[in-house]
Amino acid sequence: MTAERILPLLVAVPLLGAALLVGAGRWLPRYTADVFGLFVSGGTGALAVAQLVGVRGATGPVEWVAGWRPEGGSGVGIVLVGDGAGLGLAALISALVTAALVYSRRFFDEPPPGQAGAFPALLLLFQAGMCGFVLTGDLFNAFVFFELMGVIAYALTGYRVEEARAVQGALTFGFVNSLGGYATLLGIGLLYARTGELGFAQIGAALDAAAGGGDALVTTGFALVATGLLVKAAAVPFHFWLPDAHSVAPTPVCMLLSGVMVELGVYGIARLYWATFAGPGGVPAADAHRVLLVQGVLTAVLGAVMCWQQRHLKRLLAFSTIAHTGLFLTALSALTPEAATGVGVYLVAHAGVKAALFGCVGVLLDRFGSVDERELHGRGRELRFVGVLFAVGGLALAGLPPFGTALGKALCEEAAGPGATVLFVAVSAVTGAAVLRTAAGVFLGAGEPPAGPPHFPRAAARGPRTEHRSAATGGRGAGESGTSDEHDTAPGPEQEGEPETTGSGEEPETAGPVTRAPDSMLVATTALLAGGLAVGCVPALWPHLAHAADGLSDHSAYIAAVFGSPETPPASTAPNWKVSGVLLDLLATLLALVLARTAPRITAGTRRAAWARPLRRLHSGHVGDYVACTVAGMALLGLLLR
Amino acid sequence: MNKTVRLWVLGVGCAGVALLFVGAFRRLPEFGGSHHPYGARAVAAALHRHTANVVSSVNFDQRSFDTLGEQAILFGAVLGTVVVLRQARDERRVPPEPAVVAPTVRRYALVSLPLTLLVGLYVVAHGQLSPGGGFQGGLVVATALHLLYVAVDYRALERLRPVPVFALADAFGDVAYLLLGLAGLFAGASFLANVLPLGTFNTLASGGLVPLLNAAIGIEVASAAVVLLAQFLDQALELVPREGEHR
Repeated sequence: MTAERILPLLVAVPLLGAALLVGAGRWLPRYTADVFGLFVSGGTGALAVAQLVGVRGATGPVEWVAGWRPEGGSGVGIVLVGDGAGLGLAALISALVTAALVYSRRFFDEPPPGQAGAFPALLLLFQAGMCGFVLTGDLFNAFVFFELMGVIAYALTGYRVEEARAVQGALTFGFVNSLGGYATLLGIGLLYARTGELGFAQIGAALDAAAGGGDALVTTGFALVATGLLVKAAAVPFHFWLPDAHSVAPTPVCMLLSGVMVELGVYGIARLYWATFAGPGGVPAADAHRVLLVQGVLTAVLGAVMCWQQRHLKRLLAFSTIAHTGLFLTALSALTPEAATGVGVYLVAHAGVKAALFGCVGVLLDRFGSVDERELHGRGRELRFVGVLFAVGGLALAGLPPFGTALGKALCEEAAGPGATVLFVAVSAVTGAAVLRTAAGVFLGAGEPPAGPPHFPRAAARGPRTEHRSAATGGRGAGESGTSDEHDTAPGPEQEGEPETTGSGEEPETAGPVTRAPDSMLVATTALLAGGLAVGCVPALWPHLAHAADGLSDHSAYIAAVFGSPETPPASTAPNWKVSGVLLDLLATLLALVLARTAPRITAGTRRAAWARPLRRLHSGHVGDYVACTVAGMALLGLLLR
Repeated sequence: MNKTVRLWVLGVGCAGVALLFVGAFRRLPEFGGSHHPYGARAVAAALHRHTANVVSSVNFDQRSFDTLGEQAILFGAVLGTVVVLRQARDERRVPPEPAVVAPTVRRYALVSLPLTLLVGLYVVAHGQLSPGGGFQGGLVVATALHLLYVAVDYRALERLRPVPVFALADAFGDVAYLLLGLAGLFAGASFLANVLPLGTFNTLASGGLVPLLNAAIGIEVASAAVVLLAQFLDQALELVPREGEHR
């Protein structure tokens, strides 16, 4: 079987695994189901890696599914493009799904009756959706897999239905993402009406062939398709679903959402622009640059500001993901192959680091039934290893060499220019500092003990679990339940009457109290962090990342490859460490340490700065607010493209 | 945001999006033109493959990979619903009460049940020939079964549609679609390649792989709709909060 023929298997194998798990779920013991799931996701990953090694140069195998190769330059079929970016992301996705499956070995005491395989099956479907999204060379097919990702992600987010908050978070996620999906579909309709084509390359070729360059229809089509991708990427003002979903989703799901699904939105924008709109008939580079820069800077700044003010650890990490997505978009706005390389390195390393950080938070949640920074203060002393992992993750987030995040950050700074460099240093320092501050408080007990009366509801007595639901839902409507920054808890005295999502009284995800962190959780978390380190330390990976970026960012080479006449674009040199980049990385790390050092002395009350209050109020948890902002964001996109 | 602000933000956003659309619509091809680039190609391809229903040819041959994703969405949505609507710790199951049904309703439903079932199966079986196919026919079949709920009561429906069997059929439809796709690979062609004999145009056995993929989808859609509705009906009719719980 040739390399092209294998490509559809990266989607078909996890789908088949999921269907078998569901079909046989009634008779399978949980252990078998979990191992089978691991086998399938890992096998898919191995397939992707094997394909990736065979990719020479910028373009890889191209497969017309069901053999519908176009004749005479036009066809009816769907094309899969296994270039470096697509296959590399498929490998990353598979690695993360495998890690999440290992991590969740000790999770979820109660699979649905007769459905031991339900959770691994959902993860495999998620993997199939994401792999399909990164491999397809067809815009409509990408939309189908985009929706598959969405449907599975809503179900996974709402997995713990006993809590009203989980339902609310999943619902918000579903609303905002569906709205983005509709926008994408409308955009596809416009582009199809103009060109009669659905493939990225085919639409791009048809637009380029039409005289006169891009007009209102083309820019509107781009804006609409991009809306759905920016919703996925959680760019401001499309980002509201992300923190709400992350604060309620089970930890392994957070790993996948923050680690890779959100970043696929960034990939989607890059693929859409370069494959379809980068030609003379598309969107002018200046316009695309403006859109990405404005979106990126807004997103990075808002993410960093909000990240610093969180005490709910999952929300804190969620906002740091938003900040980093903003950085990716900012770097991408340079629209050069070097920028694409930088984003690629940063994105892959960030996936490992962020997933590992969520892994650490998951251990805390299981041990203490809380993810509240203040409530956990000093109680993590016994979990020394987890503390070390968490702190190292924080340093990596800030950009400590030789982590891949540091290399990616340096490459992005170099590609995006001096103005953006300030942003990169500041944002990574603030998000890293927020994690380090938490690490110092929780695992070392640094700084002041928590203000207000300490209350340890869950760890002290883990009563019958039926009690939790009444506690979580009693007397509170779903609409005002706490997945937001402005609801959920009784205001503390130091909060000037402003409520806040604390993260205390969370439902633990494992069966009984965890006396020590389960090995499966630690192994997965450590491996993920090591992955983030490897991206910066293993030079053998760098040429692959550069090739992937070359292929991603070359409009004509992509079209030529799809139409069967691959050309080899000039390969850019593999990225490497540079002194200036390392110094800036060290500066960001130092800043993060200084910020984290000063933080515990400032009481938490003043940390929630008054000037940021309107920003916090915007994250209200009200679906109507989010929808209004999403629609306004679409208008903003249109305005920026004029 | 309070209500006024929210409405203003939404209003300004909608106005902006409307402007975008007006600009785009002015540049669309004229209505009623004769230039249909994809349509022309798809019809030619469908005829070439001896598939009379061009829509089915697009769904199950030309763009069968889209359909793979779409059936996965349905499969995932059903699985997600089963997971989210599972019997929670604080719920218990009560057997539904027998219901009294007006005789006219009962007569009508009992007559239309076999008819609807037959129509559904016909629509699935003739997907490659006439409008319809696995998606549409599968839903008609599932509707037919639920006429039993209208005609008799929920207990009768439960007896006739064992959910585990339909859940298994749902997975079977999914697996069948994938295996039919893999068969192409093993035959030395592409995934989902239409390698079967194409048959005589406009007969039941025409279109090669199309009727088989169509049947797999029919099985999956019918069972998925049954399982999906069963989850919602269970939640509404059988599952109640435990004593002392507030919902």
